[in-house]
Amino acid sequence: MSVPTLSDLAPVRTERPSAPVPSHWRHAKGRSWRRVLRRQLLPVALVLPALGLLALMIFYPLGRLVATSFQNLGPFQLISHKVVWDGLANYRSLFTSSDLGTSVLQTFLFVLACVGLTMTIGTGVALLLGRIGKLLRTVVTICMLFVWAMPTSAASIVWTWLFQTEYGVVNYVLTSLGGNFANHNWFNSTLPAYSIIVANIVWGAIPFVALMMYSAFSLVPRELFEAAAVDGASPATTFLRVTLPMVRPIFVLLTVLSIIWDANVFNQVWYLTQGNAQLLNVIPLGVWQYIEAFSSNEYGLGAAVAVLMILLLVAVTGYYIRIMVRTGQLRTELRA
Amino acid sequence: MTAPVTMAGVRSARYRGMTWVWRAVAIAFGMVIVFPVYWMVQSSFEPNGDITSLKPNFFPVHFTLHDFVDAVNHTAGVGQAYFWDDARNSLVVVTIATLVTLLFGFLAAAAISRFRLMGTTAFLVLILVVQMVPGTALIIPVFLLLNNLHLTDNYLGLILAYSASTLPFTIWALKGFVGAVPYELEEAAMVDGASRFGAFRRILLPLLLPGIISAGIFAFITAWNDFLVADVVMQENYHQTLPVWLFSFTTNTGTDYGGLMAGCTIMSLPVVIFFLLIQRRIVSGLTAGAVKG
Repeated sequence: MSVPTLSDLAPVRTERPSAPVPSHWRHAKGRSWRRVLRRQLLPVALVLPALGLLALMIFYPLGRLVATSFQNLGPFQLISHKVVWDGLANYRSLFTSSDLGTSVLQTFLFVLACVGLTMTIGTGVALLLGRIGKLLRTVVTICMLFVWAMPTSAASIVWTWLFQTEYGVVNYVLTSLGGNFANHNWFNSTLPAYSIIVANIVWGAIPFVALMMYSAFSLVPRELFEAAAVDGASPATTFLRVTLPMVRPIFVLLTVLSIIWDANVFNQVWYLTQGNAQLLNVIPLGVWQYIEAFSSNEYGLGAAVAVLMILLLVAVTGYYIRIMVRTGQLRTELRA
Repeated sequence: MTAPVTMAGVRSARYRGMTWVWRAVAIAFGMVIVFPVYWMVQSSFEPNGDITSLKPNFFPVHFTLHDFVDAVNHTAGVGQAYFWDDARNSLVVVTIATLVTLLFGFLAAAAISRFRLMGTTAFLVLILVVQMVPGTALIIPVFLLLNNLHLTDNYLGLILAYSASTLPFTIWALKGFVGAVPYELEEAAMVDGASRFGAFRRILLPLLLPGIISAGIFAFITAWNDFLVADVVMQENYHQTLPVWLFSFTTNTGTDYGGLMAGCTIMSLPVVIFFLLIQRRIVSGLTAGAVKG
């Protein structure tokens, strides 16, 4: 069993092979348009199915989401196929809602906790993997692969069983360790319920981050450490000044991906609260828009929440994505 | 990693002394992280009496397969068991969606890396942006769209949704894999008289197989996981997929945890084993040494 390398997930190539394009293609520029068109026919035909599918199922829905957020769309309009434009009404009721501020704040704290814990523990485990023998590393990796491959729906249900009030193993263990957790209900107040949801998400996300960071650490050229040792740097200095800067790009990428994923978790919240997310008192935006749309049948209002969520996500991650593009991490991929 | 240099720096005497501490931490971490998985499997082999006892067994003392029978025959309070319907739905929909996304993704990735195509950069940026768009946010318009097309309660609707949601990542990953296969191999085949398609099929495709498999696993797991789209788009019980079937367990009052854990095991173990088996092949580096110099 080998640890997946970086290239399995986010293939990063530092330099392009010299001639991926047949040489006579390069001169196509000077030729007539018809020729260019004929040359482009096959590749365009190859891209077309993918583009068509994305257009139908992602770009069109994205546009429609924005449009819907300006409409009054309930069950009646849905059945009669009537479009009722409603101006800013959805946004007005969204921004006058007393829950909005708390929900945004809660989503923010929720994502912060998930991403912070995932990245800290994941990086720690990656470092740990480099300090243990091959056999133990393989065993720990297999343990993590089990967790990684586990469907979130099943995993979340297993977590409700772990924390079950009467027969849950967590209450049993905590009680036998001297605590008073017999019949302790973890899901009847907001903070413990959120903590368990966060723990569940972090648990599920650690394997990916840990294995990616482990590959990143092992990709750091060994000469750098030798040079640092020759210069008399302490292990701590070497780590701070050599290792960390080298793995920074992949760390930033993983952080951005985690932010996006964690801001959008649905399964874990939904299953752990057993479909009754109102238990959480104030619910994260991703679940809120679902409830507005499919429980209250207020599709327009739900769409407005979703639009707000996307805008917040773009605002938070946009800065880092620009950094990634600028430092060339994405550019090597984009330079096609 | 060989001595004397580790990936974090020079192996000092202090580090050597720490080795046992690191080992202990690693063992503890491994046990904690795998415990929920173990507990799921353990609970699904225990009789109900042992599960609902105040002192849990940490090993199935009275081993039984009864929970699996319970799970399969579980009626979700609607008088009929839907396990086999929903398992078939999951398998059919997710498999077809994975094949579609792999086919479309492979064609697009091949076009992007093998041809100088107008607007390639724009296309790639577009895909990147798409990956930023949350799936949960799109559930409302996707539902409205499929509703208009009369594709709710229809395999095709789910297949479209799943293949589209996994496509961006598939293209991105496959593009990297295609780029790693030297173009000279195909060129040589074409010099020997193969057509461009023949070169694709006979040279590129076999070399890409590990990459295609790993991208396929990713797409499969993502689609297999989905609760939201299936729940919204498929309204009849016998049209649902396994994640929604699992959810029907928990809404019952007085949950049968043995059956529920057996259900979770049925749903996750095939994926987990599949993943573990394939993981070995992914990294084999098939192209290494195909072309020297």
